Amino acid sequence: MSGIDTDAADAAADADTAAAVARDPTRAEVQAAAIVDGDAPAAPGSADHLHPFQFTGRTSVYFRIWIVSLALSVLTLGIYSAWGKVRKKRYLFDHTRVDGSGFEFRGSPAAILRGRIIALVLFGGIALGGHVMIELRLALIAVLILLTPWIAVASARFNARNTFYRNVGFDFDGTLRESIKVFLGFGAIALVTLGLAYPWFRARRARFIAGRHRFGATPFTSDVETGDFVLMYLFSGLALVACVGLFFGAMVIAAVMGGRAEPDAGPPLPAFYAVIVLLYGSYLVIFAFMRARTQNLIANGTVIGPLRLRSTLRTPWLAWLYLTNVLAVIGSIGLATPWAVVRLARYRARTLVLVAAAPLGTLMSAPRGSASATAAEVSDLFDVDVAL
Amino acid sequence: MTMLAGVRYDGRAPVGEPVTLAVEGDSVAVVREGTTDRFPRAMIALDAPIPGIAERLRTPDGAMIELDATAATRDMFAPRGRLARLACMLETHWLPALAAAAISAVALWFVVTDLLPLAADPVARQIQPEMQEMLGHRTLASLDRLIAKPSRLPKEERARIAEVLWGFMEHEPDVAGYELQFRRMGAPNAFALPGNIIVVTDELVKFVHSDDELLAVLAHEIGHLRARHALRLVLQQSGIAVLATVVAGDAVGVTILAAAVPAMLLDARYSRAFEAEADELAFAHLARHGVSPRAFAAVMRRFADDARRREPNDPLMRYLSSHPPTEERIRRALEAAGSSK
Repeated sequence: MSGIDTDAADAAADADTAAAVARDPTRAEVQAAAIVDGDAPAAPGSADHLHPFQFTGRTSVYFRIWIVSLALSVLTLGIYSAWGKVRKKRYLFDHTRVDGSGFEFRGSPAAILRGRIIALVLFGGIALGGHVMIELRLALIAVLILLTPWIAVASARFNARNTFYRNVGFDFDGTLRESIKVFLGFGAIALVTLGLAYPWFRARRARFIAGRHRFGATPFTSDVETGDFVLMYLFSGLALVACVGLFFGAMVIAAVMGGRAEPDAGPPLPAFYAVIVLLYGSYLVIFAFMRARTQNLIANGTVIGPLRLRSTLRTPWLAWLYLTNVLAVIGSIGLATPWAVVRLARYRARTLVLVAAAPLGTLMSAPRGSASATAAEVSDLFDVDVAL
Repeated sequence: MTMLAGVRYDGRAPVGEPVTLAVEGDSVAVVREGTTDRFPRAMIALDAPIPGIAERLRTPDGAMIELDATAATRDMFAPRGRLARLACMLETHWLPALAAAAISAVALWFVVTDLLPLAADPVARQIQPEMQEMLGHRTLASLDRLIAKPSRLPKEERARIAEVLWGFMEHEPDVAGYELQFRRMGAPNAFALPGNIIVVTDELVKFVHSDDELLAVLAHEIGHLRARHALRLVLQQSGIAVLATVVAGDAVGVTILAAAVPAMLLDARYSRAFEAEADELAFAHLARHGVSPRAFAAVMRRFADDARRREPNDPLMRYLSSHPPTEERIRRALEAAGSSK
């Protein structure tokens, strides 16, 4: 019974990942594409100015915003959650600061609500449809896969266009055509090669999403290397294989020991618990490694005119944050969520530096009334943030 | 006249310029070096307020002014959104925050304990029988891979048990079309899988003292089938996963949360309710076929003794135990036996 469940969840997660990945680099770049003003400390031996990011949000304030959002969302059967999300995001953006200024999120809750309804129908349809009827589930998964390019572009656009730094907006210029080529074309190649081409696909995807962003009139360029992704996946893959081996070892032990116990009342063995904890821990470390590497690779490969990013997320520290966050969130039945969010934001900001080779004057906003500015108005329906 | 200080961003380049706002009646003057712009006060918008973030004004020329102090601007300019003002008020103080925590806790607990089980039942009914069978066979296949071994019971013995069960399933239309499977799994046990699959272990057949005792155990499993417990559990688990994402999705990834411990505790809670329901259905089933629930009480007691002999007491496991305390179940069985006479 879990087989079906996992398949559906995987498919949903895939699409979700597509959207999340589409958002994630955005977030990194959004936080990154800060513009330099005034005198900053110069790095020794170079003309670059370093502007470290900072997160100045406070757990106590964010907790209140979060808990009010949760309560109102529950009371309104989830409708308020879109408004709550905007308020939480505005708080977090405002306190993500570089060179003394915070970011602004101007997304409309209605657009987010629209996106959530779409997501609910799609993913809910797959989850329930998958239980009811196999044909329906396959059809919905097919629809979801075909929609991935659109979801990626729509989300990236929505998030970029609603992010501002010092009243100058970001944008995403990636077209649906390019997105189809990357997600369906290159994605199919990754699939046909049984995943061998996946790191290459992943690099192309990052290059597309990160590289098609723009701050004002200044386009981003992304020069992430496929080789770096190959190394990352190779390393993660080997670690994963080791973990799976561990798991099967545990299953064998459980089978041997469990064979002697009465399944209904027998207490599982401490050794079994230990293996599960170990397995979960190693999974967490691999997860943190991939997160840290991916963000570092994408951020460090991004150039915004005279600006560069330097991201130095470290696996042990990130894994430690994930572990303690999970434990705190579980132990507090969710109440520690805002604390976890704030300390993660703090760490991410602390490890991100904007390297500026030129002062602010070289960056300008996009000319008003340009083609892309008009497109923003026309495609209002197109701009949805499809994410749960 | 009120004076406000701030930084103006014209929207053409990310450069700030200090300004002073002079608010006089319905007119606002934005004074910066060398220039003064005048706007009607009604045309200046103040962003929806959020505690702890800078207040920003938007003037009709597309500029944004970040105010230095969060002073009495809300009385001076109309902030966007009445809802936002209410939310901001709630978010600013601790008392409403505590109330919000209490409301969330009560509401979520209600969803978990009442709403989800209520919703899962009709959904479980919609699932096609073929789909259920597929789910059941998949589970059986993975059991076979991991722990189950083929039965070593003599063919005649298995045929005889099938015959006994056949009689016991007569006039039970809602669980017609069942499938009986024998496996060797190292412990006396029986379980029900979706698609009306009943699995009996060799050890159970040897453990029971009579056909009535075997039927008592099987009646419990048939109770699970009848009430679609396996499917309902999966559906309720999905609901819990969604709720967990709603509450804590911002903090830790969904993938990490999926294996969370509270979900397991809730599962145990659901299981206890299911076990009790299966027991009740079993007592009624036994009564319809003239078998006394005393057989159930007897076999349960021996299960408990057997388990106690084998395993030391583990308080954590007792808390997590998926079955209601055995004594309680035995008491109910004896009660049922009393009333059926």
